[in-house]
Amino acid sequence: MTTSPFEAARDIYRKIAGNISKIMRGQAGPTRQLLAALASGGHVLLEDFPGTGKTTLAKALARSIDARFKRLQFTPDLLPSDILGVSIFSQRDQQFHFHEGPVFTHILLADEINRASPRTQSALLEAMGEQQVSVEGERRNLPELFFVIATQNPVEFRGTYPLPEAQMDRFAMQFTLGYVPPEEETAILTAQQHDHPLDQLQPCATLADVLALKRAVEDVRISEELKRYAVDIAAATRAASGVQLGASPRASIALMKTAQALALFDGFDFVAPEQIQALAVPVIAHRLVLEPQARFSGLNARGVVEEILKQLKVPA
Amino acid sequence: MNENAPGLETRALKTPPFLLLAVLLFWGWQSGLLLAGAVMGVLLESARFVKARWELSDADLRRILTFCTVLLLATAVYAFTSNEEGGSLSGLIHGPAAARNATLTSVRASSAFFRWLPLTLFLFMAAQAFGAREKIPWTAISFFSYRRAQRERKSGHLPPPGGGLNISYPYFIVCLFSAGVHPNNGGTSYFWGQCLLTVWALWPFRSRRYGIAVWAGTLAAVFVLGYFGQSGIGVLERVIENYNPQWFARFLRQRTDPMQATTAIGRIGKLEMSGRIVIRLWTDNHTPPPEYLREASYRTYYSPRQSWYAGTPRSDFANLSSETNQTTWVLLPGKTNIASVNIAGYLNGWSQELGIPEGLLPLPTGSGRLENLNAVSLKANSEGAVLADGPGLVIFDARYGPGATIDSPPDTSTNLLDLTVPTNEAPALEQVISTMHLAGRDEAQTLRNVSGFFRNHFTYSVWLGPDQLATTNETPLARFLLTSRRGHCEYFATATVLLLRELNIPARYAVGYAVHEQSGRGYVVRERDAHAWCLVWDADTRTWENFDTTPASWVADEAKRASVWQRLSDLRSWIGYQIAKFRWGQTNLRQYILWALVPMLALLLYQIIFRRGRRQRRKGGGKTAAAVFWPGLDSEFYLLERKLAARGVPRQPGEPLSAWLTRALDEPALKDLRGPLLELLRLHYRYRFDPRGLSAPERETLTREVKARLDTLSQVAGPR
Repeated sequence: MTTSPFEAARDIYRKIAGNISKIMRGQAGPTRQLLAALASGGHVLLEDFPGTGKTTLAKALARSIDARFKRLQFTPDLLPSDILGVSIFSQRDQQFHFHEGPVFTHILLADEINRASPRTQSALLEAMGEQQVSVEGERRNLPELFFVIATQNPVEFRGTYPLPEAQMDRFAMQFTLGYVPPEEETAILTAQQHDHPLDQLQPCATLADVLALKRAVEDVRISEELKRYAVDIAAATRAASGVQLGASPRASIALMKTAQALALFDGFDFVAPEQIQALAVPVIAHRLVLEPQARFSGLNARGVVEEILKQLKVPA
Repeated sequence: MNENAPGLETRALKTPPFLLLAVLLFWGWQSGLLLAGAVMGVLLESARFVKARWELSDADLRRILTFCTVLLLATAVYAFTSNEEGGSLSGLIHGPAAARNATLTSVRASSAFFRWLPLTLFLFMAAQAFGAREKIPWTAISFFSYRRAQRERKSGHLPPPGGGLNISYPYFIVCLFSAGVHPNNGGTSYFWGQCLLTVWALWPFRSRRYGIAVWAGTLAAVFVLGYFGQSGIGVLERVIENYNPQWFARFLRQRTDPMQATTAIGRIGKLEMSGRIVIRLWTDNHTPPPEYLREASYRTYYSPRQSWYAGTPRSDFANLSSETNQTTWVLLPGKTNIASVNIAGYLNGWSQELGIPEGLLPLPTGSGRLENLNAVSLKANSEGAVLADGPGLVIFDARYGPGATIDSPPDTSTNLLDLTVPTNEAPALEQVISTMHLAGRDEAQTLRNVSGFFRNHFTYSVWLGPDQLATTNETPLARFLLTSRRGHCEYFATATVLLLRELNIPARYAVGYAVHEQSGRGYVVRERDAHAWCLVWDADTRTWENFDTTPASWVADEAKRASVWQRLSDLRSWIGYQIAKFRWGQTNLRQYILWALVPMLALLLYQIIFRRGRRQRRKGGGKTAAAVFWPGLDSEFYLLERKLAARGVPRQPGEPLSAWLTRALDEPALKDLRGPLLELLRLHYRYRFDPRGLSAPERETLTREVKARLDTLSQVAGPR
């Protein structure tokens, strides 16, 4: 039994991942990515068709960690104050008292985020970017662990507002779950025949465990060459043809941090090029804005990033 | 080559299994290249069973396409200028026999270009079938896409991940089309074959929304429509061909019919002939050219139509034989020919039975031998017309001399064809003869009298005014002889022939060209130099002599009307002549072009085969030089990488080592190496990417382990 902080962190990861896998069958890849985002301090946007298990995954994660969890159902009439909180005048002491909104939590599930208007969506900008909220001129800090899992239906669906680019950029990763193979789906049916297994899920990690995991990830080593590789990938998206808005430095930072987390999960104490390649698409693709013409000609952001990965010389 | 992607072999060929084999067999059967079709089909279909794939870069594909294009160009040059049977390549070696084969096959040879399409494009299709890519990118196919990608790259953009084209179906269509281009196979086998193959090809794409019956019914309707459509086109073509004479006949004549010559006698209006150059002549050593080039002569004048007829049936034409070299044709065996002229003329007609150009040769009087004539067949009739089937342009040497001609002697049968005068022309002729005292003591004097009569009393005119118009009880010829006394060569020739016959001298009406205009080292004959004159039988020498009574001023008269644009049109005519020479294989240019393309093809082939390796080597060399400032680049692991890559699985630039290693070690012989090598890769990665690096003993382990694995690798059997 080794006592290195990396091994301890790896144990925490394995525990949480194992717990989630009881619920999310056949979704080991997305779970790994979700935990990588959690461990690296980034937020996650899950985009997929309705019913593929976005909310279930988020809830499974929340249940697995013994931390505060709030769920926010985004609706078209949701207002910023419904998220951040509001000051209410108290008749008793003739003063305004601030009532914290659901954003003051450890894990926030922003369900169907693109059903609210952009005005409401923007309320999360500061919270996600700087881990603080400024309400009525007063800055309020969010807890040390603040992790947003947002889910959304594909933008083309009815009754949705596309997220603004600035909001998209706040998410470290966006990925999809996808449909599971028929055998897995049958197993899901069997598991849910009587009641939802989510109800029986017990927390397996404390808040302190997760914070320890985060600290371990920060300590994962990364060479200058690979930092340069991540920067080169981001830079290439800015120069790629058909792309109106390329990846920001925030993207390369997120790429590095999530790659550190993934390296830890993979049993490395340092980052290898494989981890950067594995995360480039989920970390970068959603931040790109394509030119309309390129979009109509069948180009998509995923394809742009994949092509860059193929063309850019990988350090070996 | 790699074998890692399962299902890859099914994606390279999009066509249903064995469809390409079937269409290539069908093509081979239809075009007589069955063996080639079978080999190509089996090769392509084997791509479904062979898992090995070539990893061809865009540049490789471009080279292959360039190779196919040059090959296509070569076949185009060859096919469109060829005289040989389309199926053989013997034409590359030029010989008299090949040249003689002339144009029986010229038309078929041009179809060879289309028939060979599956062959010429085979390499490109093979690149698709055996390549690792599902689609051939547009940048490799289209020059414009390539340029655009280059521009983007230059301006610092990464080229967009463009789509591509899987060419298996296009290739199928090309094969089907080529199978349809086959010479004179009248059967319907092609139609039914292509129906079957089309059904086969469309089967995977049928709509599942409708039943098979609807699908089959629709296809059947399309086929029926197609069948009637194509036979309708055939009918239309025949209808148009029947209208042809009325559409294209010129005022006087464009080409000479050996059976009949309709004159313009009796018509009013202006005779207008173009200055187009129709024949070119060259003589040896400044000897004068023959005065006349005769195409045909006629015996019977039919007065009501003002037409001359050959007086013999079409079957009168007898085949002439050629000598062993097949380009020399003997018209008169044993004749001594003292002069020689090189003649270039066009064959303007079309032989229905052979499907190649046909026409009368303009020959000097007394031609005995034709040399270097690339004709398929040569026929002559008893009026001295020589009909050639061959290329559209013939260039040959005519050897001639005074004396015997190929014309038959005067008719001595009861018909007396060469002495007959139409009864309605006889009164006028009698009147002229008696009033002018044309009958002489002997034949020579009679000829002088007739010649003098025309010289003294007649003028040449191409303007035929209303005064030329004959009244009801006189023929146009009588009016010419008695009243107007002016006209063009057809009047003079016809009148002369009939006068001489009335005077009991056998005579015939000859048409052809007069040669008088010098141009450079040779002579040219224009359309307006077309002429008609008279052939007189000389009883003493027993030969036919030219006898021309048209006033000599006709040449000047005609030349006066030359257009001011003559030089320009001459230039055009010269260019047309050069093109025709090339087109009909009368020049060596074709050989030069073909032989020039051969080294080009060889160079391209060399590039396709050998450049791949060089490019990889260059890239390998540049890698170590470029990025010296990163730590750990001296790792011995690279030796292993190079060794493995040499076995045929090079690492792509964007491929991380672990993924590549899994791919490279897919080979069964290397299975055991996988575990140790992945361990070693971890060590290598620590050396390269862990900022802490390796401790000295670990560094030594890396070196040692790599050495050990290198040795193991050398012992494993060589690459596939």
